[in-house]
Amino acid sequence: MTRKKTLGLMAVATASALILAGCSTTEPAEAGGTDITLWLMGGDTPDELRDYLATEYADATGGTLTIEEQSWGDAIAKLTTALPDAENTPDVVEIGNTWSPTFTNAGAFSDLSDMYEELGGDKLLDSFVEVGTVDGAHYALPYYFGSRYVFYRKDIWAAAGKEVPETLEEFNATVADLASDTQSGFYIGGEDWRNAISWVFANDGELAVKEGDEWVSTLSDPNTIEGLEQFQALFQNASNAPVTEADSTPWVNINNNESTGAPESATIIAPGWAHWSIGDLAPDPEDDTKTVATWNDDVFGVFPLPGKDGGAAPVFAGGSNIAISAASQNQDAARELLKIIFSEEYQQMLGENGLGPGNTDYVSALGDDQFAQALIDSAVASKLTPAAPGWAAVEGSGLLEEFFGKVAAGGDIEALAAEYDEQITPLLAG
Amino acid sequence: MKRIPQALLLPALLILLVGLGYPVGWQLVTSLQEYGLAQQFGRPAPFVGFANYLELASDPTLWAVVIRSIVFCVVTATLTLVVGMALALLMMAVGRIPRLILQIALLLAWAMPVVAAMTVWIWLFDRRRGVINYLLDLIPGVDMNRFNWLEQPSTFFIVASIIVIWMSVPFVAFSAYAGLTQVSEEVLEAAQLDGASGWQRLKNVILPMIRPVIMIVFLLQLIWDLRVFTQITMLQDAGSKSGAFDLLGTYIYKLGTRAQDFGMASAVSILVLAITIALSWFYVRSLMKEEEA
Repeated sequence: MTRKKTLGLMAVATASALILAGCSTTEPAEAGGTDITLWLMGGDTPDELRDYLATEYADATGGTLTIEEQSWGDAIAKLTTALPDAENTPDVVEIGNTWSPTFTNAGAFSDLSDMYEELGGDKLLDSFVEVGTVDGAHYALPYYFGSRYVFYRKDIWAAAGKEVPETLEEFNATVADLASDTQSGFYIGGEDWRNAISWVFANDGELAVKEGDEWVSTLSDPNTIEGLEQFQALFQNASNAPVTEADSTPWVNINNNESTGAPESATIIAPGWAHWSIGDLAPDPEDDTKTVATWNDDVFGVFPLPGKDGGAAPVFAGGSNIAISAASQNQDAARELLKIIFSEEYQQMLGENGLGPGNTDYVSALGDDQFAQALIDSAVASKLTPAAPGWAAVEGSGLLEEFFGKVAAGGDIEALAAEYDEQITPLLAG
Repeated sequence: MKRIPQALLLPALLILLVGLGYPVGWQLVTSLQEYGLAQQFGRPAPFVGFANYLELASDPTLWAVVIRSIVFCVVTATLTLVVGMALALLMMAVGRIPRLILQIALLLAWAMPVVAAMTVWIWLFDRRRGVINYLLDLIPGVDMNRFNWLEQPSTFFIVASIIVIWMSVPFVAFSAYAGLTQVSEEVLEAAQLDGASGWQRLKNVILPMIRPVIMIVFLLQLIWDLRVFTQITMLQDAGSKSGAFDLLGTYIYKLGTRAQDFGMASAVSILVLAITIALSWFYVRSLMKEEEA
C-alpha cells in the first residue's frame, strides 16, 4: 500500500470517528438546571399542554424538558428496552393504563408514596391509582382518562325512522337494520377487541379473573360467551369492516366519503376527542391539500353506548398513567415535573382539552357540552382490562386481536374461547 | 512485511467479534434461561437448560411459521432471481439509452428507503382507494372493488412477496449484468459459428460461465428473504397482527419485544441461525469447491 493511500484511509477513519463522536455528545446542561426527558404516548396531549409543561419546568428548575412522542403501537417494545437502561431511560413516562400493572410489578418505576398526598391523594381517579399500586405503595398515578362513546349520523338514522336506543339490545337491532351492502350500520373491525369488549363487559363477562393467587383467562365464562355471541352477530349483521381491522381512525367512516358523498357507516364508536375530526368537510383555508371538519349538530350526534338494562354500558376505560422511571438518574427533577403535571392549572388544561383530568376535583373543567356529558356518562360506567402482572404481554402477543378476529369471522365461539384461554392464562402471571 | 495484511484484517475481525459475537453469545445464554420482563429490570434469570427448546419443538404454531417462512423465502428468492436475470439479459440486448434508463430506474428502486417505499406500496394496495384495485376493476368482468389484499394470509403474502421482489431485483439484475459483461465475445461468436441458437448459447455457454455469480446472489437472496422483517411488520400494521400473518422475523419480535418472553424469543432466533446455516451450507461448500478448482 502506498503512503498516500494509507494516509487517505487514516483520514477517513478519523473523520468517521469524529462524526460518530459528534452523535453522542450531549449538549451541556444550563447552569443550575437538570435536563430531563418526558415520553408521551401518541398525539393525545395537545401542543398547548406540551409547551406549558416545558415552560413551567424551565421556570421552576432552570432545566430543559425534552418531550418525545412515542407511537402507541411500538410503545410496549420501546418501554421494555429503554426503561431498565439508566443511560437511555426517559425520566418521566406516560404509559397506557392497562400496562401499568405489568411495568409496576416488574419494578420499572420509582415509589411515589411519599408525595402521593401532595399530588392529589384520595382525589386521584381510583381505578387508575389501583393499577399502579403494589403492596400499598404507589408507583404510577393517573394522567388522564378518556372514554369511548357512540357517534351517529342523525340524518341517516332519521331517514330510517330510528331513535337513540335505551338498551344494548335495542342498539344492536337498530344498527343491524341500518346496514346495507354499501353502508355499515355500525362500523367495527373484527380484530377491534378494545371496542368489542364493551359487549363482553355489558353482559357481566370478564377477560380474566384472579382465582386465589393465580390469574386465569375467562373467555369461556358463560357471561363472556354471551357478550362474544352478541359481538359476532353485530359484526356479521351491522359492519362491513374487514375482519382484520383493529383500532383505526374511526372518524373517516362517519364523515362523508369524498367520492360518494355518503359516509362509510351510519354509526361508529370512538374516543371522545375524535369529535374534533368529525363534521362537514371543507378544504382547509391554510393548506388546500387537507380538509377540516366542522361539527354540525343537524347531521351528527353522540350518546354513550347503552347498557344491558339501560344506562351506560361499561366501555373500555381509555387513558394513561404517569410514572418516574426507577432507572432515571434525575429523580428529584422528575418529581418537580410531576408536581407541575398535578398542579391545578395543568389539570384544568387537561379538562379544557377534552382529556379527563387524573384529579377528579377538576372533572368540571371538561365543560358541560354534549361531548363532555357523553364522556363523563360513559367514563363513570367504564372498566379497565384485568390488572394482571402479565397483561401487557397479553396485549403485546396479539392473541386478543387474533381471537376476536376469529370470532367476528364466524368461528365456533366456545371452541375458540377454550383454545385461547389455554394460550392466555400462562401469559397472565407475567 | 508479511504481518501487514494480517494486521489489516484485525480491525474487521474485531468488529465482527464485538458486533456479532456479543449478541449471538447473549442470545445463546438467554435461550437457556427463563428471561422475562422482571429479568429485564434486573432480577436474576434462572437457567432452565433446554426447556425453551423443548417447548418450541412441541409447538405447532412455531412449525407453521417455520414452514411458511421457508416457502416464502424460496419462492420469493427464486422469482427475484428469474426477474433479475431477465432484466440483466435485457440490459445486454438493448441499446445504450434504454439501458441507461433501465439502470437508473433500478438504482432508484434500490435506493428508496424501505419505510418510504412500503408506505407507497400500502397505498397502492389500499382496499378503498388503491390504484391496483382501481385498475383491476377496469378490466371487464373483474370485480376488485374494495378487494382487501391484506385480509387473507394467501393474498397478504403475495403482496409481501411482490414488494420484496421489487426491492431486491435491482441487486440481482446489476450483479448478473456485471457477470454477463465478463462473458467474452469470442466464445459467443465461436458458439454462434458452430450453429448454437440464442437459447442454446444462453443455456450452455452464458449461464455456466456466470454460475458463480448467480449462486452467490441466490444464496444472499435466500438469507435476506428468510429474515425479512420490515416489510412484513409494516404490512401487518396496515392489515392484521394475528399469528397467521407472521414470518420468523415478526414471530420473534412478537415473542420477545412485544410479549416480553426473551428466553423463548432467543431460542427461536438460534433456530433461525441454524436454518440459515443449513440453507447456506450446500452453497458455501460448492462455492468453495469451485474456488479450489
